[in-house]
Amino acid sequence: MERTLGGNIQMKPNVCILRADGINCDWELHYAFEKFGAVPEFVHINQLRDKSKRLKEFQILALPGGFSYGDDIASGKVLAVELISFLKDELQKFIAKKGLVLGICNGFQTLIRTGLLPFNNLGRMDATLAPNESGRFECRWVKIKTEDSKCLFLSGSDQALDLAVNHGEGKFFANDTNLKKIENQNLVVFRYVNEDGKPTQQYPQNPNSSLNAIAGVTDPTGRILGLMPHPEKFVDNTQHPNWRRFKGQILKPHGALIFENMIRFAKSS
Amino acid sequence: MIYTVRVASKNQTDPKGQDLLAEIKRTLKITSINKIRTAKVYRLEGIKRKDVKKFAEKVLYEKIDQKIAYNKPVIKGANQTIEVAYKPGVMNPEVGSLLKAAKDLGIKLTAVDSSWEYAFFGKIRRDEAKNLITKLRLYNPLIEHIVDQKPKTLLISGKVGETKMVPIKNMSDGQLLELSGDKLFLNLEEMKVIQNYFKKINREPTDCEIETLAQTWSEHSGHKTFKAKIMINGEEKEPLIVRIKKEALKHKKNIVSAFVDNAGVMDFYDGWAINGKGETHNSPSAIEPYGGAMTGSGGVFRDIVATGQGAKTVISTDIFCLANWNMNLKKLPEGSLPPAYILSRVVAAVRDYGNRMGIPTNNGSFHFNDDFRAKPTVLVGAYGILPKKYAKKGEPQKGDIVVSIGGRVGRDGIHGATFSSGEMTQRTITVNAQAVQIGNAIEEKRTFDAIMEARDNDCIRAIQDSGGGGLSSAIGEMGSQIGVLVQLKNERLKYQGLSPWEIWISESQERMILAIPKNKIIKFKKICHKYNVEVSVLGMFDGSKKLKVFFGRQKVCDLQMQFLHQGLPQRVMKAKKVSQSALQENKNPPIPRTKGKWVEILQKVLTDGNICSKELILRMYDHTVQGTSVLQPFTGVSYDGPNDAAVIRPILNKPYGMVVSHGLNPILNRIDPYWGSIWAATEAIANYVAVGGVYQDASLVNNYIWPFPDEESLGSLDRSVDAVVDFMKILKIPVISGKDSLSSTYRSDDGLVLKIPPVLCISVFGKIPNVIKTVSSDFKKAGSTIVLVGRQDSSSMGGSVYFAKNNLLGESVPKVDLKILPKVLDAINHGISEGKILSCHDVSEGGIITSIFEMSVGAKLGAKIKIENRHKRVDYFLFNETAGCFMAEVADKTTARKLFGGTPYEILGETVPEQILTVANLFSVDVEKLKTLWKEPLEGIFK
Repeated sequence: MERTLGGNIQMKPNVCILRADGINCDWELHYAFEKFGAVPEFVHINQLRDKSKRLKEFQILALPGGFSYGDDIASGKVLAVELISFLKDELQKFIAKKGLVLGICNGFQTLIRTGLLPFNNLGRMDATLAPNESGRFECRWVKIKTEDSKCLFLSGSDQALDLAVNHGEGKFFANDTNLKKIENQNLVVFRYVNEDGKPTQQYPQNPNSSLNAIAGVTDPTGRILGLMPHPEKFVDNTQHPNWRRFKGQILKPHGALIFENMIRFAKSS
Repeated sequence: MIYTVRVASKNQTDPKGQDLLAEIKRTLKITSINKIRTAKVYRLEGIKRKDVKKFAEKVLYEKIDQKIAYNKPVIKGANQTIEVAYKPGVMNPEVGSLLKAAKDLGIKLTAVDSSWEYAFFGKIRRDEAKNLITKLRLYNPLIEHIVDQKPKTLLISGKVGETKMVPIKNMSDGQLLELSGDKLFLNLEEMKVIQNYFKKINREPTDCEIETLAQTWSEHSGHKTFKAKIMINGEEKEPLIVRIKKEALKHKKNIVSAFVDNAGVMDFYDGWAINGKGETHNSPSAIEPYGGAMTGSGGVFRDIVATGQGAKTVISTDIFCLANWNMNLKKLPEGSLPPAYILSRVVAAVRDYGNRMGIPTNNGSFHFNDDFRAKPTVLVGAYGILPKKYAKKGEPQKGDIVVSIGGRVGRDGIHGATFSSGEMTQRTITVNAQAVQIGNAIEEKRTFDAIMEARDNDCIRAIQDSGGGGLSSAIGEMGSQIGVLVQLKNERLKYQGLSPWEIWISESQERMILAIPKNKIIKFKKICHKYNVEVSVLGMFDGSKKLKVFFGRQKVCDLQMQFLHQGLPQRVMKAKKVSQSALQENKNPPIPRTKGKWVEILQKVLTDGNICSKELILRMYDHTVQGTSVLQPFTGVSYDGPNDAAVIRPILNKPYGMVVSHGLNPILNRIDPYWGSIWAATEAIANYVAVGGVYQDASLVNNYIWPFPDEESLGSLDRSVDAVVDFMKILKIPVISGKDSLSSTYRSDDGLVLKIPPVLCISVFGKIPNVIKTVSSDFKKAGSTIVLVGRQDSSSMGGSVYFAKNNLLGESVPKVDLKILPKVLDAINHGISEGKILSCHDVSEGGIITSIFEMSVGAKLGAKIKIENRHKRVDYFLFNETAGCFMAEVADKTTARKLFGGTPYEILGETVPEQILTVANLFSVDVEKLKTLWKEPLEGIFK
């Protein structure tokens, strides 16, 4: 099968699961893409650097969670420096040729630090993910809602999604000007919500005190998505802590939404 | 020249500084300080002036929320600034990333370091500020120091020491003992065996050879007590390890490999196997809890990976026995750390190491008793999965290459030798106290990633973790059958100046030793290169049946493998017979007479350190990474009902489950080592079965953490081993891995001897065909029937929390009815697999009332129970801690009778929609209120 960017409708999209030292949510992300009909492949960043693998072989680039390079200096920083230093052109080409990018947790932190999010400005940071206001690593389940945004493959919904967060640096922060710009351009895709489904600044529903309860954003092209919660850790019912309480009810794992829509869009575009 | 770059947050708030200020006000009652800010300090050496700014702006700081200063303070107007840095030579994990980022940017940077700075605002002198930092333990003088003077260089230099001959051939007994001293830890008989060997071959040994023998023959590696012939009151008994192995190997059904590899392996499904291991790291954790607990985790993860030809670690468990965190510090022995500090640092270590490794910490426990004040027990368990075809221990073949991969070798962990800071200007190396290491999780993670790919490409013949004893133990063990030739000059070093013997026995972390078939070495190196893992080719397995080690052209070790591994004489050890505990209690506390008294004692029990909620801690441990967890530590409406065991689906697209649990109780072992040990094993298996584990498909791991084996302690150890053997017999399942650490005795210079409570931890791991057939502990609905299943030994309250709250220890340990236990376990298992048990919780510390409370918490429901009249002591009934009893939620009484008819059971009552816990005729209490109290105790430390 020929693997060209875009592909035809029948073709399963190829997904590059990026690996680097300290990335550790790669297996579950691989599983999620596979489960919903894509063809994921592990690619170590060194393979992209030595050109034994090329981004153009893929329709989706996915940056998994973890602690790339130990999250030394700042989370995702060293990987961001590496991406900008060696893969700047290839990344720009990939996005220009309608590739999709997903960054989860550490992947989101990396995308923010490359500048790809929120404004698709490779090499320039306009927002950050700062240490959680609680001062602690947080491993807990939160609720988020999807908003109508520029994101090409997700549309707003009233359904609150239960997802896990596992991070120490997830507080979305930007200066007033940029924050306004992000809101005005409809770049916010996910917000943390409370029991009533309303965006919240309350801890622990908003686990890191993100400004405007922002849990995930896209870029102006709508092709790049980054979020702190982990959709890939809830693609089977039994991954939810309370799946036993939902017995009998039909429950679609909440992480499925993101993968299904992303893959469907990648197939059709 | 060194450039100094300082980075601080632009925000108004500085959580780290604020926490510190609050702590100063609270603990030290100092009010003259108004504000504390913190900053990160980077020192860069061998970098061009023009590159400093580029590096800083691209890597070190983000102007969006940070500010920066070059070669000057970044926080202005502070009265005092104190910088805390790692000592020279102690590994700073961040350095590798800083060097990498520079390289990626094409910037030349020779050396780099990072540290933290505290800026104090308000009236304070420098010596006072330093004093504060010391008192609050913001640094550990073993590994860190306060920087008083800017360093002149960050590079470490040194001269290689020589290999010395040790003239032992003509030594007297006294001289031999002196040589052994507290460095080699060998006794006179063992020293004489060594002396005779060298007399026979007619030469003196080198320092390398002596060290190799001492490492291989140490209690740590040689398990001399467990292998010793034991004389109990003059009667000979088989060695402890022989008894365990003999019984274990009678239950072979699932065993793939037991007692031969770094971890025990059992069968899983579809051609897969699972392995498990537990290991302690008590001594390092006592002096540097953060580094100690980290390297403890790192070590046991490596044991899992170094099984067969390589496994993937999928679960980590952490078990801590500590003094109560609010203990009166006057009771603290000289040189021991405050328990609250140890608690917060070991938790931080699990968080920082386990989370970075991407290994879920799914199970664990805390046990508080002030007799752990001299030395904590830190036990890390790890479990893995591997293809069965790679699960047998590898045996190096003639011609196979010896490689070492992962971290570089430094002086870390070499007994007695380390760096003294001197001043940072000097950077010299002197002999000092024992160094403690800081783990580098990312080094270990990428090494594991490379090993997985190398295994799947058939590149690995055998693999060994480089842990205690370093290369000497790892290579010596791998080559024990065939012989090996080693060139130490090929080893990668953190800095120059190590003597050959230091390279040989250094315990620097994150290293693995492998035997690679000759025709696979190129492929293997390529895989390592892909993962940024460094490789040293150290030598070859050569068929000589000797351990030959060279440093350049100089031969530093030449020993017969036969002598090294079989030369150690078996010890004969004397033990005293230990008596059993009473059959029932003699001293009894009064039964609470009023509703108020009942609620008061219940609150006391629920807020005890051993029972209170540990959720605050668990929320800092990543337990969802890998996406495998199907029974998380906390479940229920508000995710706060605690569960008994971990269940994961290690293969994501299969329904197969791996269940992991454990049990221990140090206090019971003290009163009665036999029944205390039975309790631990039963508690472990009850936790396992309570969630849906099938005990017939489980394996056991035993960890002994015992005081130094004098006659009395060896006597109690003997009883404990008998208990484990009996337990295997009753349940027909094997122990397949274990470890002993027999040094839980503390001696101070002034003659104080403290025997730390003896701990037997039994861990259980095994398989179930489908995770759907598991339950959590939270009640599922109102109107269900609550049943107690199992036989309580309710007249034995020894060691219970209820007794402790009445200031009693008790003299009778609850005795598990071993005849009935298998039936009870089967009944619970049947009920769960049929879907008839809606929720289940085992009964342990705090008794059945605690179990019912915890089940109500998760459900946001209440319970109404009534105690049958035949129970004379209703308080004992509610608070008794007999292991092997369960609280089960079933639909109705008929179901209860059907399920549990063949076993002792008692219908207690039902679940109710209101969050009220009622015991008819005694008391009724608000669950939400109890929950708040139950969650409170740890908030002082972790919130």
